Formats: sequence, C-alpha cells, structure tokens
Amino acid sequence: MNRYFYIDTEGKQKGTFSPEELLQEHVKRDTLVWTQGMEQWRRADEVEELKFLFNNSSGFNRTAYPDQAGPYPPQTAQYAADSYRPMPRTWLVESILVTILPFILCSSFLSLLGIIGIVYAAQVESFYNRGDYAAAAESSRSAGKWTKIAMWIAIGWLLLIVIAIILFIIFVGSLAGLEELITT
Amino acid sequence: MKTISGVVVGLLLVAALFLFYRFDPETQPLFPKCPFLLVTGYQCPGCGSQRALHSLLHADIVGALKQNAFMVVAIPYIFLGIYLQYLGGRRRNPELERIFYGRWSAIILLVVIFAYWVLRNLL
Repeated sequence: MNRYFYIDTEGKQKGTFSPEELLQEHVKRDTLVWTQGMEQWRRADEVEELKFLFNNSSGFNRTAYPDQAGPYPPQTAQYAADSYRPMPRTWLVESILVTILPFILCSSFLSLLGIIGIVYAAQVESFYNRGDYAAAAESSRSAGKWTKIAMWIAIGWLLLIVIAIILFIIFVGSLAGLEELITT
Repeated sequence: MKTISGVVVGLLLVAALFLFYRFDPETQPLFPKCPFLLVTGYQCPGCGSQRALHSLLHADIVGALKQNAFMVVAIPYIFLGIYLQYLGGRRRNPELERIFYGRWSAIILLVVIFAYWVLRNLL
C-alpha cells in the first residue's frame, strides 16, 4: 500500500498518509495527491487505489460491505469507475486567455485560433451534462489542441518581437558609429 | 519545473510592463504594429491596446478608454483568469470561475469582441 502526499485547500503539501488515513483527512475528489512512482500530481479520484474513498457517498459500499476496510472486490471498483467520471478538462480559461492576450501583441490573427478553442471548450460542459462522455472528451481534446497551437505560435511571435527589438537597438547603435566615422 | 516557468513568466511580465511604462507605443518604433490595420485600413479589436496599456500605467484612464475601451475592461479580466488558472484560484474561488469563465461568459465575450470590432470601425 502506498503512502500519499496531498495538497490541502490552502495549497499546502501534507503527508504522508495511507489511503485509510486520507479518509480521515477529508480528501475530496479534486484534491491533488501524489505518491512514489507518479509522474505528477493527480486528482484523488483518478488514482485507482483511492477510488474507494469516494464510493461512500453513493451508499453502495456502505450497504454492500459494511465492515470491510480492505480492498474491494474488482466488480465494485468497476461499478464505481462507470458511475462517476469527472468532467474532462474544459480548457475554457486557457482558450479565453489565448484569445484576448494576442490583441495586446498585435497578433489578432491568433485570436481566431483561440476562438476555435473557446467553441470546443464550451461544448465540453454541454456534452458532459447531457451524459455524452465520449463527445465531451473529444471536445476537450480539440479545445486543448487549438489552445496549445495558439499558445506556441504566440510564444514564437513574442520571441520574434524580442529579437526584432534587439536587432533594432544594435542597428541604431551601429548608425551612431557611422556618424562618428563621417565627422572624423 | 512549474515554479521555474512561473518565475520566468513573472519576470517577462514585469519586463514587458516596464517597457510599456517607459516607452510610448505611439512614438516609439519598437512596438509591433497591427497587420490587420496595415492591410485593410480597419482597426482590429486589439488596435490601440498597447497605447491603452501605456496610458493605464500612467494612470490616464480616460486616454486608455479612448484608445481601446475593450482592453481597459479586459486587463482585469485577464488577471482574474491567470489567478484562477495558475495561482490556485480555481480551488479557492470556484464560484468566480463559474460566473466569469463559464460557458455563457465565453459566448458573451465573443459577442462583445465582434460587436466592439464592428462598432469601432463604424463610429
């Protein structure tokens, strides 16, 4: 059994706890947790070993296995995974940011990419609420794709501007030298 | 890795704000010009936002509103988005995200951008 760190509501890292102890810590579905072997922090309800923490609200495990504290039979875990799926990442905040920010950089053409991202991002929630999980996941993927494309082009554009400014300063500097050359 | 990129972005932001404070985009040739305006002669929704930022940093709100009213409203909105997404605001203030970065706010935002785009060229 792994021991977990988690990030509390204040954003502080706490740990380590066994899955049973996490139950006492009132870890929520979207609490970020980490344990050895994980590449990055993940939502608690995405971690297989911690799924049982969130089954209680449905009442299913309480009634079916009242005294059982250990691992649940596989079919129970299967049931939990099917009945609750977190909404796929919507990308709404990111796609809105990549739509507005290019305006300041005078690269409004990038906003078109951001708008494509927003349209997909807004679909995620609608599909999810309708219960169409596959379509929601698909929209989430598209939204993420367009948002990332816009973001990387924006970063490239930003670098170009910085290079242009540096070249311009060097150019002006060289002109000053030229003037000196003529006058002497 | 996350803190390093956070620090880098923060430093870039401060540097950019300093440039916009120190130099006036109106007179300095350093700042990028809008390709849409150059090609069509019409202003895009973002035209004037650099000048507006310069005016805002000099506490000239009226001037900023004249240069790009949309950006004056959008800048606090952008900071709210950055707070929600990258500074843990999503967990602390989920209701702010629902109101300002929900599905309907995204649609309203698109309508506002297009309306501003058309109106600023007509008026």
